[in-house]
Amino acid sequence: MKRIRFSVFHFFFFLLLITIGLRLPLLGETAILLISYIALLITDFRTALDQFSLSMADYFCSFLLIIAIPLFLFLKRNNLFLPKNFSFSHYTLSVLLYTFLFAPVITNDNYEFQKDISVTRLLPPFSSIHVLHLKSNTEKSGRLNDFLSLKNNVVKNSFDEKIIFFDSLQITQSGVFYFQNERGNGLPLSSIEMVDGKPYISIKFFLLGSDEFGRDIFTRIIYGTRISLLIGFCAVILSLIIGVVLGFLAGFSGGVTDILLSRLTDMFLSFPIIFFIILILAFFGNSFISVIVVLGFSGWMSLFRIVKGEILSLKTKDYFITARQLGLSGTKLLLKEALPIIAIPVIVNTVFQFGNVVLSESALSFLGLGIGNEFPSWGGMINSGQEYLSQAWWMILFPGAAIILTLVTVNDFGRKLAQYFNPRLHE
Amino acid sequence: MKSSALFLSLIKRLTTSVFVLFLTVSFLFVLVRIAPGDPSQKFLSPNLSPQLVERVKSSFQLDKQIHEQYISFLKNALTGDFGVSYSFHRPVNEVIAEVLPFTILFSLSAFILQLIGGLLFAVLAFRYHQKFWDKFLSRGSLFLYAVPSFVSGLFFVYLFSVQLQIFPSSGIKTVGTLENNYFFLLLDYAHHLFLPVLVLSLTGLPVYFKYFRENFEENQNKLFTLYLRANGISERKILFSHLIPNSLNSIIAYAGVDLGILFSGALITEVIFSLPGMGRLAVGAILQRDYPLIIGCTLTAGVLIILTSLLADLIRLKIDKRLIKGLLN
Repeated sequence: MKRIRFSVFHFFFFLLLITIGLRLPLLGETAILLISYIALLITDFRTALDQFSLSMADYFCSFLLIIAIPLFLFLKRNNLFLPKNFSFSHYTLSVLLYTFLFAPVITNDNYEFQKDISVTRLLPPFSSIHVLHLKSNTEKSGRLNDFLSLKNNVVKNSFDEKIIFFDSLQITQSGVFYFQNERGNGLPLSSIEMVDGKPYISIKFFLLGSDEFGRDIFTRIIYGTRISLLIGFCAVILSLIIGVVLGFLAGFSGGVTDILLSRLTDMFLSFPIIFFIILILAFFGNSFISVIVVLGFSGWMSLFRIVKGEILSLKTKDYFITARQLGLSGTKLLLKEALPIIAIPVIVNTVFQFGNVVLSESALSFLGLGIGNEFPSWGGMINSGQEYLSQAWWMILFPGAAIILTLVTVNDFGRKLAQYFNPRLHE
Repeated sequence: MKSSALFLSLIKRLTTSVFVLFLTVSFLFVLVRIAPGDPSQKFLSPNLSPQLVERVKSSFQLDKQIHEQYISFLKNALTGDFGVSYSFHRPVNEVIAEVLPFTILFSLSAFILQLIGGLLFAVLAFRYHQKFWDKFLSRGSLFLYAVPSFVSGLFFVYLFSVQLQIFPSSGIKTVGTLENNYFFLLLDYAHHLFLPVLVLSLTGLPVYFKYFRENFEENQNKLFTLYLRANGISERKILFSHLIPNSLNSIIAYAGVDLGILFSGALITEVIFSLPGMGRLAVGAILQRDYPLIIGCTLTAGVLIILTSLLADLIRLKIDKRLIKGLLN
């Protein structure tokens, strides 16, 4: 029997199993929601469209992926391109990818959720807060209402008026009296959900503490991972396209085009590019798209140089000249002769570029010029934590650790990739 | 023959640089022109009569054709006249001249620190090649390379300013220091600048460490080192008189560009420690749409970068005469 080696595949499986174990009720509810949404789509198309939201689609995707990925991995387990021996960066890379894919299932909280700021603001890590649940007073039945209550159960809103965070509680004959940061408030017993004649009290756990608005930092970091990686992917693809196309142009045509493009590259390289980025973002407004575009446009220079260099050296190679003399068409020359040659250095460079983009994005968010406050981002979290440095170190430590971990992982992955493609490269 | 080749290569180098600078400035002009709104808007109120609006616009020469604007813009930029800053109400040159000395002092000290630190650690790693210290330093530099300056900066502020209260967290001098006592003034500056310089140099240190270490490793496997070793030259002498000088070439080329970029402002470090440097000046100008100041800052940065990389090339030429050929092509 073959000895089973522990590999990335198993680690990913392990993470999945943990999530499924912890979030089984949520996954079940998501499954029911998905089925009832499909039913709604068939019976009442218009209402279904009205009820559609991106966050719900997000939950559906996570749910489907959580079923599909293990199946896929299991079926394809023998011919997967996955490293057999693995190291620290493999762990962290799988954690990052995992977080990216399954963010809603991992936290099941809205990243904007805030309530009762006087109790929940600036909580240290590992603190838990008692929660009082109010009765939902409108108990309507009906298909749509069932669907809506189910949806509210799964997809969390940024505000929930049915719950109250409190510090301490006094139960009297007529009602309950709860205290929020020295301030007392009374409620009749009839409005509170009861279990066995006592008010139902649950506990909300803040794993990594909360920020100045009482938002859960863990949730925000998880969603921040998504935003950072997404911006990284998009910007890198943009610079990949620009760099490769311009590099091909300069390499193949030579002459004036080459000189102009090379000087343009020099211009971009010989200037602290962050000022250009800030200039453009300040003049034309900063949003999700503009950050991607600007970061994409500011990172193509190294790719351009690599592609141009490779093409120039390729043009002098005998086999390439022969292929040309034999009358291979331009596209065929590109696809069959040039692309395989440039692919390897370009891929390696792209990985490093990805790290640069993630770093630039968080730096921009730190300066307040990132994607704005609509989405959580690591740099933005650090920026808001700067003000509370003396009171709440966790507001900076955890997002900072997330950035460092991501960058270490990406750089390490890039080096491993370079080594894999070029084994002569020493350590 | 050699001196003429050197001269030729320098001329070529300079023309390229000037062309790049010209491109930068033109790019900036285009950016400023296509940005929504124009510079005169800040000075116009909706209550002004149309005639007055026209007069204000013509005082900015905005009524002229775009190519005329471009030519006069180039002319002014060439003579070093960037006009008056909108937010400071003073000539741009004066404003820049005020922050430049500080920026140069600040970035130069960080630069020297990271260069020396990188060299020292690389020598240490080389001494204990493939042993604990080497591995520790290599891993550590990889980690340090991934730490953004705003994370390390805030960490140091938290540790040294909030918890231990050893170093001040912002500014460059204590209010009310005796201005005429130069010794205390210097001490006060050093006290304030210790953390910022440390943070700024930490970002560059791993890069220099890696450059030096890789160069040592590469040269160590070459035949001339083997020959020296076979002749019984001590390891110390090989390192200091052969390995280090041989690795300087590529490092100086990198250091030239690096120093220039440092001169143009270490934005994030300046923001964290609220220092009056070029980076904050430029970003402040951008955010306030102070067009003359933006262009002034950009050109200053560009000139500084070109000068430092030129200086680096000159030093490299001085060290290694073989490079003249390379520069000519």
